[in-house]
Amino acid sequence: MTCSDVEQALPELLDGEANGAFPTEVESHLQSCAACSGLVSDLETIAGAARTLAASEEPPPRVWARIALELRAEGLIRDQPADAKLAPGRPILLPTAARRRWSSTAWWLAPVAAALVAGGSYVVSHKPATPVAQNQAPVNAAPSSAPSPAGSAPTTPWQCRLPAQASMQPTVTAQTTVEPEPSADDQQFLSAVSTRAPSMRATYENQLKAVNADILETQAYVDRNPRDAEAREHLMEAYQQKALLYQIALDRIQ
Amino acid sequence: MVEFRKASSQPASIKNTAIVTAVLATCLSSALCSAAFAEAAKEFRYTVGAHANISVDTQYGSISVKPGTDNEVVVTATLKSDNVEVDQQQNGNRIEIASHLLRGTDQRNGQVDYELLIPPDATVNLRSSTGPMSAERLQGDLTLEGAEAAVNVRDVENGHVHIRTMRGPITLTDVRNGHVEVASISGDVHLKGVTGPLVQVTSGRGGISYDGDFSSGGEYRFTTHTGDIRVLVPADVSADFKARSVLGRVQHDFPLKPRHSRFPEEVGRSFFGTTGQASSEVVLRSFSGRIRLKQR
Repeated sequence: MTCSDVEQALPELLDGEANGAFPTEVESHLQSCAACSGLVSDLETIAGAARTLAASEEPPPRVWARIALELRAEGLIRDQPADAKLAPGRPILLPTAARRRWSSTAWWLAPVAAALVAGGSYVVSHKPATPVAQNQAPVNAAPSSAPSPAGSAPTTPWQCRLPAQASMQPTVTAQTTVEPEPSADDQQFLSAVSTRAPSMRATYENQLKAVNADILETQAYVDRNPRDAEAREHLMEAYQQKALLYQIALDRIQ
Repeated sequence: MVEFRKASSQPASIKNTAIVTAVLATCLSSALCSAAFAEAAKEFRYTVGAHANISVDTQYGSISVKPGTDNEVVVTATLKSDNVEVDQQQNGNRIEIASHLLRGTDQRNGQVDYELLIPPDATVNLRSSTGPMSAERLQGDLTLEGAEAAVNVRDVENGHVHIRTMRGPITLTDVRNGHVEVASISGDVHLKGVTGPLVQVTSGRGGISYDGDFSSGGEYRFTTHTGDIRVLVPADVSADFKARSVLGRVQHDFPLKPRHSRFPEEVGRSFFGTTGQASSEVVLRSFSGRIRLKQR
């Protein structure tokens, strides 16, 4: 079994794994291939985190409305005609031929982008259970003080992170002026760009650095001002920007 | 010595001349071939009914859409090399056009420029990484997506406009009576005469400028992370304003009537209040950029 075989069969394999172990030939390939085992591990983490989020972070109806709008714009669904016999008004999925073709090697970008939004949503909306910093930093303070270093024990529930987020978030360094290290997902993302659109690599890399820096800067501010709802919204939007970058890449590098 | 030089330089000169001539001839023939191919344009015509759905997807190249006749779509594709082909199909009222890059194609030789004449009520989906993309004088829904593409939309009404790019500048002029949703990672967004029930712009690092009138009873939301927001509106604008920059400065020259807000008002960093009948809701948000609301 080759890496390509595993990659193509991953969705079915992951679905099947919920009911038991992988098939023997897959297990043996995963034991000998660090890249594939890493990919499977990442996807399991993301899927696990998504299941955890589902119950506690149900998005409001307007989010679903926006998703439906996006799917219509993408040409993936359309409304049934008003005279439809069954459930008029309910959107229907267009046939595969009418949809855009996704690259067989870039499909993983979609769940990663979704996980970014979900992870960002969790970070932003998970409010502290206990009273937090009573003295907020002055609003004109530069965002330079150090947030908790990655890997250190969280001091408040606010700083709790999902396992998946550890790899999704930019590395938190002592000062926000330090360039964030790209995560494993970022590396994989840039690797896919390099392979499929080498001329775009520098552009995507720069955009990714910028988005990661924005996340880092906002996260540092939110850590110091956890009651600032507006700043939390900006943090969520910074994550959405990163998800948007992944989505654009998914659409454009084929 | 001199004679020797003359004797030996003459054949060398002839040889150099021959090489230069050969190189020039090669370049000229390549240029002529390229030029000849650059002129190669393909035209596709389709008969459609009302509310046709038209999609154009190209990796490299411009897309321009203008209104034509009510029942015909005319697509002119200009191919820059034979490394790229145009795939096209019509299924009833749905038309799909896509550039098909052959192996080894890059931005230089994979460019296809599209010009479309379409029924004004058609729904249009345009995708180009490099752009630019433009659409004007249309009344159907528009979706434009790109990476570095500059986007220009002008004189559009009654349709929804959705734009998504990575870093190209986006300019909307005289867009009315539809939902406008713009998302960019680092591109600047310029809106002039844009009104409707919902106008929402989000940019990570780009600036947002608005020159128009909010008084049509809509919801206007402009958000940027590090970019500046500049809004220019008439003195008699009727709107409910909320503005805050977490780390940047805000400024306005309107006599706003104070109102309650969930944000604690901080002088220089936020302002809230209404003018006129407050018929539109205007929310201006930035994390570290400046926000300026100014009378025209």
